[in-house]
Amino acid sequence: MRPPRLSAWLLCRVLPSGEARAAILGDLLEELDASGNTPAARRRFARHAYSIALRYALRRAPHARTATRKRGETMGIDAVRQDLKFAVRGIVKRPSFAAIVLATLALGIGASTAIFSIGNGILLQPLPYAHPDRLVYVSETNHGVRSSFGYPNYVDYRDRARAFDGLACHSTTSVTVLGDSPRRVDGRLVCWNFFQVLGVQPQLGRLFTAADDTPGARPVALLSGRLWRQQFGGDPSVIGRTLRTNEMSFTVVGVLPDGFRFSRVEDVFVPIAVTLTASSGWLDRGNHFGLYAIGRLKPGASLQQAQAEADHIFADLKRAYPNTNSSNGGRVVFLRDRIVESIRDTLIALMSAVGFLLLLACVNVANLLVARGAARQHELAVRTALGGTRWRLVRQLLVESTLLSAAGGVLGIIVAFWLLQLLIALAPADIPRIHEVSLDRVSLAFAVAAAALCGLLFGSFPAFQASGGGRLQILARASRTSSVTPHRTRRALMTVEVALALVLLAGCGLMARTMAGLHAVNPGFRSDHLLTARFALGGAAWTAEKRLAFFDTLLPKLNALPGVTRAAFTYSLPIEGSQWGSIFIVSGKPVPPRDQLPAAAFCPITPGYFETMGIRMVGGRTFDSRDLDASPRVIIVNTTLAHRMWPGEDAIGRRLKQGWPEGDAPWREVVGIVEDVKLEGVDQDVPMQVFIPLTQDTPRSVAIVARTSVEPMRVARDLEAAVQSVNHDVPLTNVQPMTALMSDAIARQRLSLVVLAVFAVVAVLVAAVGLYGVVAHSVTERTREIGVRMALGAEGGQVLGLFVRQGLFTATVGIFIGLAGAAMLTRALEKLLFGVKPSDPATLGSVAVLLLVIAAVACYIPARRAARIDPLTALRAE
Amino acid sequence: MRAPATLGELEHLVLLAILRLGSGAYGVSIARELEREAGRALSRGALYTTLDRLEIKGLVRWKSEPGGSERRGLPRRVYSVSARGLAAVRASQRILARMWRGLEGVLKEPS
Repeated sequence: MRPPRLSAWLLCRVLPSGEARAAILGDLLEELDASGNTPAARRRFARHAYSIALRYALRRAPHARTATRKRGETMGIDAVRQDLKFAVRGIVKRPSFAAIVLATLALGIGASTAIFSIGNGILLQPLPYAHPDRLVYVSETNHGVRSSFGYPNYVDYRDRARAFDGLACHSTTSVTVLGDSPRRVDGRLVCWNFFQVLGVQPQLGRLFTAADDTPGARPVALLSGRLWRQQFGGDPSVIGRTLRTNEMSFTVVGVLPDGFRFSRVEDVFVPIAVTLTASSGWLDRGNHFGLYAIGRLKPGASLQQAQAEADHIFADLKRAYPNTNSSNGGRVVFLRDRIVESIRDTLIALMSAVGFLLLLACVNVANLLVARGAARQHELAVRTALGGTRWRLVRQLLVESTLLSAAGGVLGIIVAFWLLQLLIALAPADIPRIHEVSLDRVSLAFAVAAAALCGLLFGSFPAFQASGGGRLQILARASRTSSVTPHRTRRALMTVEVALALVLLAGCGLMARTMAGLHAVNPGFRSDHLLTARFALGGAAWTAEKRLAFFDTLLPKLNALPGVTRAAFTYSLPIEGSQWGSIFIVSGKPVPPRDQLPAAAFCPITPGYFETMGIRMVGGRTFDSRDLDASPRVIIVNTTLAHRMWPGEDAIGRRLKQGWPEGDAPWREVVGIVEDVKLEGVDQDVPMQVFIPLTQDTPRSVAIVARTSVEPMRVARDLEAAVQSVNHDVPLTNVQPMTALMSDAIARQRLSLVVLAVFAVVAVLVAAVGLYGVVAHSVTERTREIGVRMALGAEGGQVLGLFVRQGLFTATVGIFIGLAGAAMLTRALEKLLFGVKPSDPATLGSVAVLLLVIAAVACYIPARRAARIDPLTALRAE
Repeated sequence: MRAPATLGELEHLVLLAILRLGSGAYGVSIARELEREAGRALSRGALYTTLDRLEIKGLVRWKSEPGGSERRGLPRRVYSVSARGLAAVRASQRILARMWRGLEGVLKEPS
């Protein structure tokens, strides 16, 4: 007769050894024997055994308390419950300790979860389209730099490419929606199958068909859910109704799902065929009007295959059309990579920074627990001496740290929630996919994993450290002088903390230098008291004459506005970027090969533009009322162009021609030279620039610049009214002070700086408090030793020096490790930096010194206490 | 003298079973008695923890008797009700009787 093995074993583990266990086991065996050891009886035995095991494990058996325990420990749920109870009791007993630990953890886990959520939402989550992993973004390249398609190139490519299930071109546009209050809205010209390629279904009506996208077809449009509600009140019978715009009237065929967006918020989608008229220039192979394509890879087709195919097709096109395609190629990238590329580096930098912060939080908590472990050594020693095994003690400490990290994780998730709201609110508006970011399941899983990792990491240190050494050793240690082991552990942890803090501080320092550099950049114009706004005169009705007449009527009205000292129109705004880049040739010089023609930013302006902007003339004259459409063609160039095209010569009187050498554009004569102005953001080099009188090249879309004597936005309403008084159907967009535009241009760097600065401050604080704690603890432990030293004649200053030196030694080692780490790790920031190298010695040196000073203060405060110890009191304390 | 301990229903039943079994009350026989007379198929976990609890309260005593081969020589705990246990059973009985008074009409078994 043999009882079921597992249940018998379980009983032996759960029941306290001794007479009680024997009696119970005896009872069960007797019953088993009486019922003949049948399978049913054995099952009954097992059932009894489990019920007993469960009962005894769940409620601490009353007799276990009274009975002598030979092994001094219990197993299973019972034991864990007991550990938990001890842990909670221990935490409640020292609320301030727990508060510091939890605050550190909540900060570390919260910050890292928030940043991870952003990284996850933007970089890792699939795009909100059907099978997004097969969506690609196709463009041309020019000299290896991405450029848009010439429409005929796109058509040739589309017809020959085999890698795709669908390929659709698209280009941004904007239209003025007419009505009671005309509105400028962003839209997109798309090939008819654009939405089919993305896999988007309309919430109302239908998508485009191939027939919609043929020249001469009735103009149709798809609306966003937002415009549908704003313009048509969300009326379901909108299908077939007319959307009136300044360009033309469109018949609404469908409404896109709410929340649909492609790279930016857009309200109107129109088949691209409406713009493909002979006079538009779209059909010219050399014109690159911002046309790009998306494609859906065939199942089984790889990105590499698609790229190889593009290389092949564009090599053929280059041979067939050497005049326009000499330096052009094709590029295929995953759509997701294209959409997030502007923010990728920033996010990776922030994610690595937050990784350091989390690590720092862990190390700091480990440090605190080691310190507390040292303080509790006596308790642990007594327990060991009374029969607690080492494993039992380690388990107790691990349960404590797990409990702390679990609570820290919960708090961290709350912190992450708030922090995420804050970061999204702070983030530059043009961050792609930022609206898709949320604290989702993946982020929560990250927080849980971070908490678990923290628990293990910081829990294992004090646990193994506290359990080290024999029982007698621990008892001896605890009762008397300083304990060496925990001290060594703490110093090692402190070194790591200082090193981590230095890396974060270095990152912050580099970003601060970058911001200072960006702010110190001379943009070439006065950005204060400058209001900017845009408007467009689109549609066939706005002929060049009518546009000029509109500008001529409007400009005097703007100049007459109260609060405006000077106003002008320009095609491109500084910082915002060029609207018109083109190649050109200069007269009297050999024409370079086609793929080496110089390129410049061309910009029509009205007289008074330079005065309004505060841009300095270097030579020659500015435009004035003489420069009309019929007068000789004149231009003003910037100094970069003058120096590069005519080095060492006077540029005034020279001529250049925009476009291809064989093109029919007129030759234009340089009449003035102006100072360079930052055109593409603050951090980019100034390109060659050519200014043309607005009368001699009249664009459809212009920006107003108005120099104001008051706060710029106070003029905004009057500005709008002035424009509307000339024509009701011309709404103003992007009304903002120049300073806002400049601030947006460096928003990415500012966000990184803010985040890194917060991290660095937290890191330095944590490290300083940690150092303070280590030194203070060492002072407390060595009070007796200090007493002896001072009794033997040591001066207060010597004692002070002793402790400061010890603390600073730890800090210095940490700083050196940190410097080595920073030199490697700040490379993650490289793409964000401006005017400073990742390993900039001045920055690294100053953060090292700063940290050393902070460390010195953190050591000095507790060390001073040591110096003031009264030897008699110290000796008596023993 | 301390007031008699109050009893839970299960404790009450276990005490009664021990009293009924006289000198033969140990784990197995108590379980059988409860099953036969009270119709209670107690889990053994509940039975042994109840016995432990009664012991702590001082309501039962036990002595260890050597077991035979059917128990592989493991000892048998034979339980008896202590004086305090007896007082507790009586007190419970009295409480029940008091609470019954006047309810005969309501609680009469249907005949």
